[in-house]
This record gives sequence, structure tokens and C-alpha cells, in this order.
Amino acid sequence: MINFEEELKRFKPIPEVSQAEEAIYSNDLKDISDIVTQMTTDFRSTASAAYVQMPGRTRF
Amino acid sequence: MADSKPLTCPSCGKRILKNGYCIGCNMHVDVTWKAFNTSDYHYNIGYDKAIARDLSGAIESLKMSLRYNKKNTMTRNLLGLIYYEMGEVVEAISHFVMSVNYEQSNNIASKYLKELKKDPGRLEFIDQIAKKYNMALGYANTGDYDLAIMQLKSVLGENPHFVKGYLLLALLYLKVENYEKAGTTLRRVLKIDKANPQAIRYLHEMGHTDENIIMMREQSIENDGLLDDVYVEELSVTQNGNLEAPPEDKINVFKEFKKNNIDKTVKLGEYGEVSFAKYSGTYVIVGLVLGILILFFVVVPAQKKKIRNENRNEIKYYSEEMAAKNATISALNEQIAELNVRIENLENDVSMANDSMPDYSTVKTGMSADDLQNMIDNE
Repeated sequence: MINFEEELKRFKPIPEVSQAEEAIYSNDLKDISDIVTQMTTDFRSTASAAYVQMPGRTRF
Repeated sequence: MADSKPLTCPSCGKRILKNGYCIGCNMHVDVTWKAFNTSDYHYNIGYDKAIARDLSGAIESLKMSLRYNKKNTMTRNLLGLIYYEMGEVVEAISHFVMSVNYEQSNNIASKYLKELKKDPGRLEFIDQIAKKYNMALGYANTGDYDLAIMQLKSVLGENPHFVKGYLLLALLYLKVENYEKAGTTLRRVLKIDKANPQAIRYLHEMGHTDENIIMMREQSIENDGLLDDVYVEELSVTQNGNLEAPPEDKINVFKEFKKNNIDKTVKLGEYGEVSFAKYSGTYVIVGLVLGILILFFVVVPAQKKKIRNENRNEIKYYSEEMAAKNATISALNEQIAELNVRIENLENDVSMANDSMPDYSTVKTGMSADDLQNMIDNE
């Protein structure tokens, strides 16, 4: 049986013309290239931090 | 000598190192090309689904295509068109703008945007529809179902391809237990988006089988009365959102109008029968008149033309035959004249021969016939 309240929650307001800019930004999703770039950046920063924390290593 | 120009990444446009990795996005160029290829693959699936009017399925595939390559302008454009078809114009515009942003030249999205910009009234109209829909959603959330239904009807009257509006209207009809209207509304959704999962789920909940749903897609939505203005919902909602029976004194414009009209009509038996018989007779007469007109203006001239052509061909054939016969006759006449001349010559020869023959009148009688013949032969 359909749960009316639950179903109604699925309906979201649609953007008006004045909100088109927000819609454009929300549609600029991440593709696989963005994800790989983000992962590489994160990995580099993590690796750099780990390298600095190794015994005998100091940040120059 | 090898080309010294460095390779650029197809994704971000930055330089690619000798090991094949891009300095900008850190992806190997082969992986980038593979991702682009997969994006095109999902675009093709989306395109096929859009052609088959499975718009929801097409949107899913096209979104998947964008996950592999967000700069795929063909995907963006098709997605925008599908949103436009489903009545979500602002969403469509946003995809067109993104598409133009990624590729300015030879992009059909710029043409779409130009056309929209040229017509500010159209944008205002789109804005009004969005506002009305959002208002209807607000009414539904606060339990004002009758207002929400009326508002949605107004929205759908102005934008009859607005799938989200139909789905919300169907949900509201289900809430007020008007299953017939809910079914009609969902049928309209299936006309626009053949495999809309939400519509199909609602229909399954209403007890429709898959076969019924397939048949519903084929049925016409013309004159289904869904958005008729004369139809007034008999709804009354209490403060807590529950339905209650309509009060006796509530004015129902449609019922009043119908009642008054029935009293004024002349009763000739069953209302439906009389009406159908009358109209079927009219249809027959109109059909006959049309048939006769078609006969006189289309069939008869065509037949006349055909017969005229046949006659012309026959005349041509007989003329040719007559000319051939005349030629034969003149040839024969010439032969006759020649033969007559020859006969004349021969007759002259015969007469001359007769004249030069010896006179045998002086031959004595008493010769036998044989002697006479011998004498002629000797001569």
C-alpha cells in the first residue's frame, strides 16, 4: 500500500527561473576525472604528512 | 623527425608526460580515452531509450554518461531536451548552459538558448508554472488537497507534458480515493514517459497488472476529461487533513448546471441512446455527402482523364494504321497504273502483229485443216 506521507516527501520543489543559476551549479557534477584528481591530491597530502612524521625526518 | 608538439589531455587540456600521465588531472591518457568511450556508450543507450520514449530510463543512462565525462555536450544537450519534453524547463536550460560552457562552437544548445532568450514571455510563463507547482506542493504538504488538485490542474492545463505535476496529481487522487482519475492521470504520464517507474509503481498499487499497463499506454488520452474546468471536486478536508463527507448545502456548480439542463431537455427515451443515434445518423449523412463530393471532385475527373487518354491513344493508333493503309493503297494504285500501261503496250503489239499477218483469204478451199495448220506453221 502506498504511504502517502512518504511518497509526498519524494516530491521536491522545482527550480524557478530566478534559481536557474543554482540549478546550473548543482548540475555540475563530478566525473571520473574529477574523482581521480581529488583522490591523487588527497593521497599526496596524506603521503607527505606520513613522510614528515617518520622518525629522523624533519620538515624543511 | 617526430612532431615536437606536446600531447594535451582530452579531459583537462593540460600537458601529458612521457609516461602517459596528465599533469593536470593525474590520469593516464588511456584511462581518459576509455572513460570517454564509456560515456559515449551510455549516451547511445540513453539515446535509444529516448527514441523509445522511455524518458526516465534515458535520463538514468545520460546521467551515467556524464559521470564518465561531464563535458560530453551531446549528452548534455539530449538530457536538456528530455527535461524540456518532461516540462522541467529550468533543468533543461541549466544543461544547455553547461553544454555551451564546455563547447561554444557548433553546439546546438546555443541555438536553443537563443530561442529562449528571444521570447521573454515564454520564460515568464515557465516561471509561473514552476511557482504554481511549488504552491500546489505546499498545499499538499499542509493537507489542502482540493486546492492542490485545482492548482495542479491549472499547471497541467498550461503545460500538458509536465510529468512531475501528473505524478503529484495522481498521488493526491489516490489519497482522496478517486482511483478513476488517478488511473487517467497515470495514463497521461505513460503517454509521455512509457516506463516511468513511479507511475508504474502507483498503478501496481492500484491493482493493475503489467498487461493492463501495456494496454493503457495504447489508449487515447483525448477527451479523458482530466483537466476539464467544469469538473469540480467534491472534497472537503478537515483541519487534520482527513476527508469528510461533503455537506448538503455545499454548492456544486457542475451538478447544478447538469441538473438544470436535464430538466430542460426533451426526453426521448434513454439519454445515451438518443444522443448516439442522432449523432450516428449525422455522421452517416456527413459521410455520404463527403463520399459524393469525393466521387465528383476526385474519382470522376480521374476517370474522365483516363478515358480521354485511352481515346487519344486509340485515335493515334487508328490514324497510324490508316496512314499505313493509305500508303499501301497508293502503292497498289501505282502498280495498277504500271500494269495498265503494260496491258496497253501488249494490246498494241497484238494489233500490230495482226496487221502484219499474211492474208489467207485467197487460199483455195479444199485444203484439209492439217494442211492449213502446216502451212501457217511454215509461215
